[in-house]
Amino acid sequence: MSIEVRGVGKRYGDFVALDDINVSLPTGQLTALLGPSGGGKSTLLRIIAGLETADTGSVEIEGADATKLPPQKRNVGFVFQHYAVFKHMSVAKNVAFGLEIRAHGGLRPPWTPQKRRDKERIAQKVAELLELVHLSQFAHRLPSQLSGGQRQRLALARALAVEPSVLLLDEPFGALDAKVRKELRDWLRRLHDEVHVTTVFVTHDQEEALEVADEIVVINEGRIEQIGTPDQLYDEPANDFVMGFLGEVTRLGPLALRPHDIEVAVAPGVVGSTPGVVRRALRVGFEMRLTVDVEGQAEPVLVVLSRTHARALDLELGSRVWLSPTTGATAVAVPALGGVSV
Amino acid sequence: MADTRQIRSRKGPVTYLLRTFVIAYLAVLVVWPLYEVTARTFAPLERGAASGIGPFLERLQDPSVTYAFGLTATCAFWAVVINTVFGVGISLLLVRYQFPGRRILSVLVDLPMSVSPVVVGLALVLAYSSGKGWFGGALEAAGVFIIGSTPGMIMATAFVSLPLVIREVVPVLEEIGTDAELAASSLGADGWQIFRRITLPSIKWAVVYGVVLSLARSLGEFGAVKIVSPGAAFRGETATLLIQNRYSNYEEPTAYAAAFVLVLASVLALVVVSLIRKEDRS
Repeated sequence: MSIEVRGVGKRYGDFVALDDINVSLPTGQLTALLGPSGGGKSTLLRIIAGLETADTGSVEIEGADATKLPPQKRNVGFVFQHYAVFKHMSVAKNVAFGLEIRAHGGLRPPWTPQKRRDKERIAQKVAELLELVHLSQFAHRLPSQLSGGQRQRLALARALAVEPSVLLLDEPFGALDAKVRKELRDWLRRLHDEVHVTTVFVTHDQEEALEVADEIVVINEGRIEQIGTPDQLYDEPANDFVMGFLGEVTRLGPLALRPHDIEVAVAPGVVGSTPGVVRRALRVGFEMRLTVDVEGQAEPVLVVLSRTHARALDLELGSRVWLSPTTGATAVAVPALGGVSV
Repeated sequence: MADTRQIRSRKGPVTYLLRTFVIAYLAVLVVWPLYEVTARTFAPLERGAASGIGPFLERLQDPSVTYAFGLTATCAFWAVVINTVFGVGISLLLVRYQFPGRRILSVLVDLPMSVSPVVVGLALVLAYSSGKGWFGGALEAAGVFIIGSTPGMIMATAFVSLPLVIREVVPVLEEIGTDAELAASSLGADGWQIFRRITLPSIKWAVVYGVVLSLARSLGEFGAVKIVSPGAAFRGETATLLIQNRYSNYEEPTAYAAAFVLVLASVLALVVVSLIRKEDRS
């Protein structure tokens, strides 16, 4: 296990940011800490990095207790949401920073052969890293001359330069626009397959987590809701919060389930199907979103089906339909609300 | 938005009236008096005597005048050095750390700006004068005399120009935030390395700006120095004190010459400051 977090708690005054967090993150994996804003996931990441201290509990990195270590001794790479690049240094200097600090701390006089060797080694390493993040041609530019995506890649290269035992990314793509975001997360996945450094990243975007991560830790209100692979989380959510956070959810009788997991029939055939009336139909590209009023249920049911399917059923406003969960649908029982009857 | 732009772009009689008023105001208050000083500096001493740059330089070469400027330079230099070191230190403390009394400290830092320099001088005399001051006895026993000597004058100058560096550096420190510093620490840099390689380059221009402002302020300091200095020629007479002494002793030409040099120094400071502003923006 690369990172072991045991019983970590953190409060800011009355606000409980983290409450008895226990999680172990295996070596070489790409893990996502997923949850809504203010849920404590960034705090957990910063505690792992040593940028914040936990009130209780311990953090172990690569088998060594790191609870009391300052960030510079933890051998972690940290990437910030807003890049935190060193604005007054060139791209190459930014990447070289950690290497220079580690090589000699700036103390050895420049004419010693050792210093020259260090310099050559650092220059070579920087060139390799810039190659890795596709920034070679920008080596001598200042960060202000780079785009947001390039700056974030620079921040990644800088963090990777010191060969950290874990790489921690705090909402790494949060400040980028949608297209760059998507490109960069594909790229992060490929990079991770190449470099294999244990990586933890914080995100509130479930799509990002599902797409990139090997394992997802869902955190909400300072507690872990579920830990598992993207498939496990999506198919077997531990509770309605996880279910609701990972995708759209609607309620059909006592069940919470995905709108696309509802079977629509125009005649009462299936046992236990619920009758209703189509109130709204919205077409978005290839899919059809229906809002169906169901007897005895206050809130309407949301159903998503393909455009072709909807056309085959000849659905229109006011059509009577019978709804039932698809076989094999992911569903979670929810506590009965007023007015639910099956 | 459109409305204000319309108002701004219209050049009616009010616009011209305001312009005339501002120009007249500046002329009466600043330009004319300064012109008088300059004119008197280069005017002939008496009817038929030589005028221009020659006599001006001659007056400045008087030993008591060179002493006075030397002393002003010494006081200003040390005051600026002290204020730069403490100013950056206090700014870091105010912005980067939370501690009880932080807001009180923040207010105290501004105090020298609002208190009259004469009061500052008086306070220093009360605290440090040999024999009767709070520390006076102990300092006298140790053979250190602050009041009436250069250290006291440096203290007075430093006190008065203390907020200038801090007020420049604090907003910049707040603006740059801690992300880059935290990133550096996660890359293995210790406190000093972070300060030296990350923080200092980011606040560089603010520090330089503050230094120039404190230098200008220190060169012109009068009230506080007046109280703590013996104020006689060759004994604690700084340039500003010299101007006052000479002026009241009917040696006006020398006073004008010294005043002109001080004006020149502040104009130079203003030029440097505006150049820095430009540099900082680019």
